[in-house]
Amino acid sequence: MAYINQRKYYTNDGVNPTDENWGSYQYVGLEDIVKNFQLMYAGNHELINNENRFKILFHAKRGIQELNYDAFKEIKNLELQVYDDLRFVLPPDYVNWVKLYLLKDNVLRELTENIQVQSAVSYIQSATASFTYDGDGNATVVDSTLDTERKNGSLKSIYLNDEIDENVNPNVYNYDSDIYNYRIGARYGLNTETANINPTFTIDKKAGVINFDSTMANQQCVLQYISDGMENGDDSKISVNKLFEDYIYAYIQYAILNSKFGVQEYIINRARKNKQALLRNAKIRLSNIHPSRLLMNLRGEDKWLK
Amino acid sequence: MINSVRNTVLAIINKNNYGYISPGDFNLFAKQAQLDIFDEYFIRYNQQINEENARISGTGYADIKKGYEEVIDTFSVTSFLTQKNQNVYFLPSTSTTGSDYYLLNKVLCFSGGVLKGEAEKVTNSKITMLNSSLLTSPSTIFPAYTQEADGVVIYPDTFNGVNDVQAQYIRYPLDPKWTYVTLYGGEPLFDQTQADYQDFELPIDDSNNLVAKILQYAGISIREADVFQFGQIEDQQQNQTNL
Repeated sequence: MAYINQRKYYTNDGVNPTDENWGSYQYVGLEDIVKNFQLMYAGNHELINNENRFKILFHAKRGIQELNYDAFKEIKNLELQVYDDLRFVLPPDYVNWVKLYLLKDNVLRELTENIQVQSAVSYIQSATASFTYDGDGNATVVDSTLDTERKNGSLKSIYLNDEIDENVNPNVYNYDSDIYNYRIGARYGLNTETANINPTFTIDKKAGVINFDSTMANQQCVLQYISDGMENGDDSKISVNKLFEDYIYAYIQYAILNSKFGVQEYIINRARKNKQALLRNAKIRLSNIHPSRLLMNLRGEDKWLK
Repeated sequence: MINSVRNTVLAIINKNNYGYISPGDFNLFAKQAQLDIFDEYFIRYNQQINEENARISGTGYADIKKGYEEVIDTFSVTSFLTQKNQNVYFLPSTSTTGSDYYLLNKVLCFSGGVLKGEAEKVTNSKITMLNSSLLTSPSTIFPAYTQEADGVVIYPDTFNGVNDVQAQYIRYPLDPKWTYVTLYGGEPLFDQTQADYQDFELPIDDSNNLVAKILQYAGISIREADVFQFGQIEDQQQNQTNL
């Protein structure tokens, strides 16, 4: 892609979206990566010769996907409201989650993943434990008790036992709204590491939804997640941070050499080491460690804890 | 160049009164010889690349490959392909682009007059899988094409306009034609002002090769083994020098 002037950068020459070029200089596009690789690393006098472009494209995209999974810090955010069904449908380019928040009372509260199962499939069963089947021969599905209890709020949580003293011991004196009245004597076995008052969730990857407990109903939820950088299949929008540009070339070179017949092992090893070294370099660069940051951390060392 | 080649061939053949080649026969042999040599350029070009990779070839004046490239590039043609239907376009031919192609080197895809990408040649055995591949299916910036009969099929099929596909190809050399005017005495006299006159398209450097090749064909034609063998030996020596 050609260099653009400042007017084009700031205003996109008035064409919508006008902010399209903001920050674009940090990235190199997929088209450039493939072209540069073909020009510089493939040819009659190069290690790689007579390879189809679609193979280069494949490895370039695979490399970009791998980088998106961990090395890049390109986190996407999506805010949606969770309704009575207590579900948050995963975004179309979702690969993995980073954090999940409840946005309430102008505060972002980080949610804890529930390690217990919160949703299950259930089949209609007769008194003799036999199933009923539909016309296609599949067992008839019905809402599970687990789901029903989770949605109506009767499912107990291990994260914060909400039993009040009255329920545990009906003869005890009722202190009305005294905070000591709540959750007394019922926290045994509580996981203190994860205990909190906020709703909990589990991610059903196959179903493509996040399931919440009943306290999340009608609340705003913010999901931080990572994608694979494939931009819904639009090749023209796929890009890589320039800090990783050399790594991508090395990755493609290694991947092709590694799968090519008759390439000497030492050449493959050289390519592999080069790829790994460049990945380490790029990660260090992206982590933005520089003297002033280190200095800030070192100053914090002498801070008194009160 | 064609007249000097013909004169040389006739001089060698007539040396011992072996015989005479008519202008019509000469033109046939000349065409055949030119095609032979044209074809050899690509083989020699490949050999030269191998030599470069083996580090037994130099640069500057010793850059033999560059010379071959220059000759091959004189036959290069860039032209829009004629649309057959939808995303299928006719291969270059005398009836569509004005010349038959020897080698399709590059296929470029345009949309609205803007170059979008260079299409990659994909075999028919791969294209179905490629089209259904999530990561590598042909796209606007990475198009692909397959060859089918007298046409190329472009993928994705959004390239389906009249001037959407352009090809850069190496055409065949034009058929050489030694033209003449017949004098009253019966001896043909060279005349390059004729409308159908066509000189050799190979460089002057190849005149020796042309003579040797034509002599081989002429030797067989006039049933003179000596002439054929002379041409063959000349040809071999020339090839060895070139390697």
